[in-house]
Amino acid sequence: MATREETPKAPPDALVNAATAHPWSYAAGVLLVAVAYYTAAKLGLRLALVGRNITPFWPPTGIAVVAFLVLGRSVWPGVALAALVVNLPITTGVLPAAATAAGNTLAPLVAATLLAKVGFRREIDRLRDATAIVFVGALLSMSISASVGTGVLVASGALPADELPGSWAVWWAGDAMGVLVVTPFVLSLVQPWRRPGRPHWKHLEAAVLFALIAAVSVVAIGADPHLMFLVIPLLGWAAWRFQQRGAAPAALLVVVVASWAAAKGIGPFRAGTMLEKMLILQAFNATVAFCSFFFAAVVSERMQAHQALERAAAGLEARVRQRTSQLTEAQQVAHIGSWEWLIPQHRVSWSDELYRIHGHVPQEFPVTFETAVDQVNTEDAARIRSNAEAALRRADDHDLPNIEYHITRPDGAERVLLGTAKVCVGPNREPLRMVGTVQDVTEARKAEREHRIAETLQRGLLPDRLPEVPGMALAARYVPAGADMAVGGDWYDVVELPSGHIGLAIGDVAGHGPRAASTMGQLRMALRAYALEEPSPAEVVSRLDRLVSRLLMSEIVTLVYLVLDLDSGMVQFANAGHPPPLVVGLGGQASFLEEGLGSPLGCDDPGLPAEASFRLVPDSTLLLYTDGLVEKRGVSIDEGLERLATVATDGGQDLEAFCEQLLCSMVEGDTADDVALLAIRPVPLTGRPLLRVPAEPRVLAPLRQTLRRWLRESDADPHVANDILLLACGEVCTNVIQHAYGAKEGPLEISLDVRDGTAEVTIRDQGCWRPSSGIHGGYGLPLVQELMESVELMGGPDGTVVRMRRRALSGSER
Amino acid sequence: MSDLARVEGEQRGTICLVRVHGEIDLSNAHEVSSEIGVAMGQEARRLVVDLSDITYLDSAGVALLLRLAERLRSRRRELHLVAPRGSPVRRVLDFTGLPRVIPLESRLEDALAQRDDALPDEFP
Repeated sequence: MATREETPKAPPDALVNAATAHPWSYAAGVLLVAVAYYTAAKLGLRLALVGRNITPFWPPTGIAVVAFLVLGRSVWPGVALAALVVNLPITTGVLPAAATAAGNTLAPLVAATLLAKVGFRREIDRLRDATAIVFVGALLSMSISASVGTGVLVASGALPADELPGSWAVWWAGDAMGVLVVTPFVLSLVQPWRRPGRPHWKHLEAAVLFALIAAVSVVAIGADPHLMFLVIPLLGWAAWRFQQRGAAPAALLVVVVASWAAAKGIGPFRAGTMLEKMLILQAFNATVAFCSFFFAAVVSERMQAHQALERAAAGLEARVRQRTSQLTEAQQVAHIGSWEWLIPQHRVSWSDELYRIHGHVPQEFPVTFETAVDQVNTEDAARIRSNAEAALRRADDHDLPNIEYHITRPDGAERVLLGTAKVCVGPNREPLRMVGTVQDVTEARKAEREHRIAETLQRGLLPDRLPEVPGMALAARYVPAGADMAVGGDWYDVVELPSGHIGLAIGDVAGHGPRAASTMGQLRMALRAYALEEPSPAEVVSRLDRLVSRLLMSEIVTLVYLVLDLDSGMVQFANAGHPPPLVVGLGGQASFLEEGLGSPLGCDDPGLPAEASFRLVPDSTLLLYTDGLVEKRGVSIDEGLERLATVATDGGQDLEAFCEQLLCSMVEGDTADDVALLAIRPVPLTGRPLLRVPAEPRVLAPLRQTLRRWLRESDADPHVANDILLLACGEVCTNVIQHAYGAKEGPLEISLDVRDGTAEVTIRDQGCWRPSSGIHGGYGLPLVQELMESVELMGGPDGTVVRMRRRALSGSER
Repeated sequence: MSDLARVEGEQRGTICLVRVHGEIDLSNAHEVSSEIGVAMGQEARRLVVDLSDITYLDSAGVALLLRLAERLRSRRRELHLVAPRGSPVRRVLDFTGLPRVIPLESRLEDALAQRDDALPDEFP
């Protein structure tokens, strides 16, 4: 049984301390103990069987044990004093009296100490307490006083040595009985009443019971020696109804009556030797004591267990109630309802929230399976019915597949619900109940759908990868808005123009969601188309403006479009109402490109937007961004721009790191608006000699741009660079494009190196050069050989390599 | 039209003067060729192509000029080229031996001043 409680550790020592704490209360305690001991001794001596001092029932030991247990062992002087006073008149001298008194004090002291050690509880409401007081408190400890007492009698000559065993037994039994009968009784008196509200009839019952016990014991013992056992059922009654509180006084009463009868020679004690009388009395007393004790302890223990169970049940019930109310609240918050279908009873119960989900007042009407399914739209009801039927046929415990279905509320609103269910079967596999939950997922589904559309659109709208342009580092970021609709109208694009220049655009279509995303997609495509046709940024922006004006687009559309000539670093740009691009120089100084600003697109502003230009020096950074980067609630856009200019100055060497750092510093947590970033940095070509491009005619012009820059940065003589090396490279590349791959596609690789004033160019392909076709071809290679100092042409199965060299330093021209 | 090269045509009597600016390579040779064809009207007897403002010309451009000359010759018209002496374009033309087939002048005036009958030897 789990209800057994451990003894509280505090009482014995606490009581010792309490008794010693106050001198006056200690003295009073000692005096009280002495008086009680003396009184009990005087009463006990009246029952003496052997001489004047050996009694079959010695109550003072019980008093002493109680005193040590309740007041603490420090009150021993009271016991010792009283014992001495009691023993003085009945022993042969002071010394034997003192020795006997010492034994009488020591025995209860040992008893109390051992009881404290084994965790004895004064309520004696557990079996182990009963066992402890019988064996440790009474039988074991009292052998001390018996040994000391009879030893003193024999030593002082008051008792013949051959009578020692019998006398020892009587002494021992008397002391033990004193502990067994008196200690529980007194302890039961000093225990506080734990349940004050005892009914009056209980007192009446107690009174009747004790009268009965007194009468029965007196009459039974007096009338017939063999009827003594009649009191046993009454002791049982007392123990069962009143536990230790009833059993202890009842046992005391019966033992006193029996001892009195023995002392007076009444009833069974009329005849027989002293030893026989003694034996009968002790056996009877022991039976009475043990019975009442153990019975009372067992009943107490069972009652405690019962109470503990009741408490646990009550606690459990309270918890269940609390959980139920929590569940109801949780359902309400999560918009999840639950239901239970008791199949044999044809009964369905809905939680309050399920009624609400269906647009009804909680528990508005009783539900059956049929009425429940009737709430569902017809096209889904059949599915639910067939799912349920299949589940019932399966005849085992299992979860049903989740099902999404539609209902129409009484007010006409259509809702999408997600249902889960499981079926439970009985011992014979008959379906007993089905339980499930219903969640209103209308809003979630709608948001998901819109989000999916918008995301798909957006993915198609931003470049999936940035072009690799030799001599230019590029990095871009797009951060969706933190709100549920993750897609905005921000966009950017990088276009390689036919002239070899690079078109850079960033724009913002006001609003979020599929509409903004689709507008931005149209704009991006239009810009690409115009940019390929038209070299002037202002003209491209002006065409876009006309497009936006004509095409319905009601949103506010801003953009800035720039054309970068990597060769010269010149940037021409036009800005249609977009936040100004930022240029961060090599030294970290940041400045905004405020020029070239016009109105947003579609504002019917006549005339071309302004066009401006500036020079982007190598290793400086051009940053294009959308307003999400600089606009924050509660902060003016000017402050945002200022902050951007400050943050951008300590951008790292790496452009990707630069973008990351900008986002980290400028965008905190979820952004209210989406953010797009595009960073461009012209980087030296030197040290990156390898260019790899597709072998197509359109790469020739951009390739020349790159080579021009590269040669200039390598300090090659301008005449050699532009008129000789460039032409030789062009010829070889043209050859590769025309002859290496036939109709197939393939790469063209060029590496350049200027060392010790000599330029070495290696051009490589993975094809096989075919013979020149037309009559007007065939000039290329001879021209290259004429232009360069050395030309090696190596053809192999893996492709063809052309390596050529020429002095390239100033003044090296032949 | 392409950014790479720009073609400007001008009618001077029976002479059509076409100035080509920019660069000619494999990527725009065909385009330049057809633009020259457009710029030259039906009337012109002679086409003068001024290559002075060409900044890049490689063998693809040479091939274009040869094809153009052939086409004109089949219609009994003549092609004259202008390229300044010492210019990079002139070097390419000289190297390919083109002046042996197509009259090449260093100065535009010379090309324009030549009389119709001053055809190369091949056309007596």
